[in-house]
Amino acid sequence: MTSTMEMMPEKPPRKDSDIPIIGTLVLTVTVFFKALRRNKVGMVGFIGLVFFALMSLLGPGLVPFDDDVKLDQIGAPPGSQVKILVQSANVDRFRTLDDLQGQTVGLIDRSGGESLVEEYFAGFPEDNPPFEVETTRFSSGRGIPEAIEGLANGEVDALIIWSDNITDYITSNRDLAQGDQFSDLVVSGSLGKRYLLGTDTQGRDIFSHIVNGGSSLIFVALLAGFFSTAVAVLLGSMAALVGGIPDRLLVSAANFVLTIPQFPVLVVLALLIGSQLNNPFLLAGLIAALSWPVLMRAVRAQVLSLREREFVEAAQALGLGMPHIILREILPNMMSFVAINFIFAVTSAMYQQIGLIFLGMAPINDYTWGVMLFFGRTRGTLFSPDSMSMVLSPVIAIALFQVCMVLFARSLEEMFDPRLRSS
Amino acid sequence: MATHTPPIDTSAIEKPEFSASSITLGGMAHKIWGNYVARTLIQAVITIWLVITFIFFLVRLMPGNPVDVYIDYIINQENLSYEEAYSRAASQFQFDPDANVITQYVEYMGQLAQGDLGESITSTGTKVLDQIWRYLPWTLFSVGLGLLFSFVLGVLLGIIMAYYRNSPLDVVLSLFSSILSAVPNYIWGLAILIIFGVQLQWFAIGDFRGTYASDISVGFTPEFIFSVLKHAMLPVIVYITGALGTWTLTMRNSTISVLGEDYVNVARARGLSQARIVTAYVGRNAALPMFTLLAISIGFIIGGSVIIEELFVYKGLGSFLFRSIATRDYTSMQGVLLVIVISVVFSNLLADLLYSRLDPRVRLGEDD
Repeated sequence: MTSTMEMMPEKPPRKDSDIPIIGTLVLTVTVFFKALRRNKVGMVGFIGLVFFALMSLLGPGLVPFDDDVKLDQIGAPPGSQVKILVQSANVDRFRTLDDLQGQTVGLIDRSGGESLVEEYFAGFPEDNPPFEVETTRFSSGRGIPEAIEGLANGEVDALIIWSDNITDYITSNRDLAQGDQFSDLVVSGSLGKRYLLGTDTQGRDIFSHIVNGGSSLIFVALLAGFFSTAVAVLLGSMAALVGGIPDRLLVSAANFVLTIPQFPVLVVLALLIGSQLNNPFLLAGLIAALSWPVLMRAVRAQVLSLREREFVEAAQALGLGMPHIILREILPNMMSFVAINFIFAVTSAMYQQIGLIFLGMAPINDYTWGVMLFFGRTRGTLFSPDSMSMVLSPVIAIALFQVCMVLFARSLEEMFDPRLRSS
Repeated sequence: MATHTPPIDTSAIEKPEFSASSITLGGMAHKIWGNYVARTLIQAVITIWLVITFIFFLVRLMPGNPVDVYIDYIINQENLSYEEAYSRAASQFQFDPDANVITQYVEYMGQLAQGDLGESITSTGTKVLDQIWRYLPWTLFSVGLGLLFSFVLGVLLGIIMAYYRNSPLDVVLSLFSSILSAVPNYIWGLAILIIFGVQLQWFAIGDFRGTYASDISVGFTPEFIFSVLKHAMLPVIVYITGALGTWTLTMRNSTISVLGEDYVNVARARGLSQARIVTAYVGRNAALPMFTLLAISIGFIIGGSVIIEELFVYKGLGSFLFRSIATRDYTSMQGVLLVIVISVVFSNLLADLLYSRLDPRVRLGEDD
C-alpha cells in the first residue's frame, strides 16, 4: 500500500485508467437525469423518493415526535386549531391571546383544556399569568352549554375552544334551548398550533407521527432489499457460471425456501424471536432469508441467457478470460436488472414488515406507520369517521412511498430495456 | 439424475427449435419421460416432507407453548396457584409439553402417514382435518375468484396495452397498473373500509363480517348464495386490486418483447392474418411466463390471505392459521402449513406441466 503511494508522484497520471471511471460515472448520472427528464412518471417517482428521504433524514429535527399524552385533545379532526369564541359585541376587542390580558378566559376541559394555552402561559412569569382561567368540565356533554352560558352571563370574557367539532356544534346552533345565546356568538380567528392531521387516541399530533414514523420502516426495508438482492445475485450468478453439482444444489436450496410458506413462517419466526426483533438487522435478515429465491432464479436465468449472447460468444472466441467475461460483459448488462429488482425487493420487504406489525406480531419499539395501523385497528378508530385520520394518514403515507418506489423502478425498467423504451 | 431408459417414439412430439442445447436436453428428456412423473412425484413428496420437518421443529422452538399460555390465563382469571392451574391444564389438554420433541416428531409423522393431522391442542376433541375442511373452501373460493378475475383481466389488458403502446390509453393504464401493484393489498383493504365504509357509509362494515349471514341456513338457496357472495365481495375486490396491476404490467412487457421477435415479423411478412398472429404467435408466447406465475401464485393463496381475512374478519383458512399461531395450537398450525406446502409444491408441478404443454421448446425433465 505505502509503496504504491510513494511510487505515484513519479509516475505520470494515467489518464486512461482513473479519469474514465469518474467520467463514466458523471456520464451515467447525466444520461440518467436526461432520460428521467423525458420520463415524467419516473421523475414523479424520483422526486417522491427524494421527498421521503429528506423527510426521514430531516423530519425528526423539524417536527419532533409528539409523545405528550393529552387526554383533553383526543381524536381531533385534521386541521384543528385553537379559536377564540366571544360575544358579537366583543369581536373587535379580542382577536388574539394577547388581547385577553387581564380577562377571564373559559376553557372546556377534555376538548381543549389548559394545555391549549400552556405554551402561551410558559412565556410569562408564574406569579403573573396573563389571564384568569375558568375551566368547565366537558363531562356528560354539558360542558359546552355550560361554558356558553358562562360567556353569556359575563362570567368569562372569552372562550378558548379547540376542536373543530365544537366549532361546528356552536355555529350550527343545534341546541335549541340556548338558541339565543348561540346566535350571539362569534368564532374569531384561529391561532396557536395547528394539528394538520388531527390527533390520535391519546391526543398526540398525528402529523408528527407520520413525519417520524417512516424512517425505521424504510431503513429495515432497504436493508432487507439489500440483503436479499445481494444473496440472490451472488448465488444466482454463481449457480449459472459454475454449473454442475453446485448449480443443482443452489437451485434445490432456492426451491426449498420457495416452498416454505413465506408470510406464515415469517409470523411464526417473529413470534419465536420475540423482542429481539427490535434489532432492524435481524428483522431485515429474517425477511431477506425468506425472499431471496425468486430473484436468485431470475438472476441465474439472466446469466445463463447472457452467457449465450453474441457479444459473450465473441468475447469467448477472442479468448478473453472468465473474469473479463463476468465483469465486463455479463455484470454491466445486468446492473439495471439488479437495480430494478432491488427496488422491488424493498417494496416487498415493506409489505411483509408492515403486515407483521399490523397483525401485532412484531415488537413495537418505534412508533411507525405500521404501529399506527395496528393501534388504529385494535383501538377501534378505524370505525369512527372522526378519528380515522389515525389510520388514513399512515395508509396514504405507505401507499405513496410504495407508489414512488414502483414508479421509479418501472421507469428505470423502460429506460434500460430498449424494447420497452418509449419511442 | 440422468436415468437412461430405452428410447421412446418421439415422432408424435413437435421438433424443438433451433438451440443446440435444447435439442440434446430435449432428447434426453424424451428418454426419461417414462419415469418422469414418478420421479417428480417422489421429489415432490420429499420436498413436502423436508419442509414439514423444518416447520415442525420451527414451531416447537417457539417460546410459550399452549399449556403455558392456558395456565397463565387461568392463574390470572381465577387466582389459582400454579400447581392447581397446571393440573387443571394437564387434564384439559391431551398435549404434554415436556414430552421429548423427537418422540413427538415420530408420532406426528406416523399419524401423517395415515392421513391423520391429529387433534387441535387448544380445543380438545376437534380434528384438525375437520377444521381445515371447514375453513379451506372459503379461502379457496374468495382468493380463487380474485385470482381468476385479476389474471384474465390482466392478460387481456396487457395485450391491448402492448399493441397500443405509448398511446394515451397505454400511458394511463400503465400508470394505473403501477399504482395498483405498488400498494399492498391490506392497504387497499383499509382504504376501502375507511373511505367507502366509514366515510361515505356506502355499506355497514358489520354486515360484511364472516363468510355468510348467521341467520341464513346453509343450502343451495338464492338467499344463501347471495349472502356468500356479499360477504366475499370485499376480500375479492381487495385480492383483485392487489394483483391486477402486476398481471397487467407483466403481460404488457411480455407481449412487447414478443412483438419484437423475428418470428412475429416473419409472420407479418408472410401475410398471416392479424387474428392469427395475435393468438398463435404473440399471445401464446407472451402468455407462457404468465402461466408459470399463475401456478406459483396458486400456491400462495392461503399464505397471502392471512392479513386480508384478519382485516375483514372473513373466517377462512388464513385467519384460522393466524389464530392457531396466536394461541400456539401446534397441531392446527402444522396442519394448515402442510396444506399450504402441498399446494405450493403441486402448483409448481402444474406450472412445469403447463409450460411444457404450451412451449414445445421446453421439455420436462430438463432442469428448471
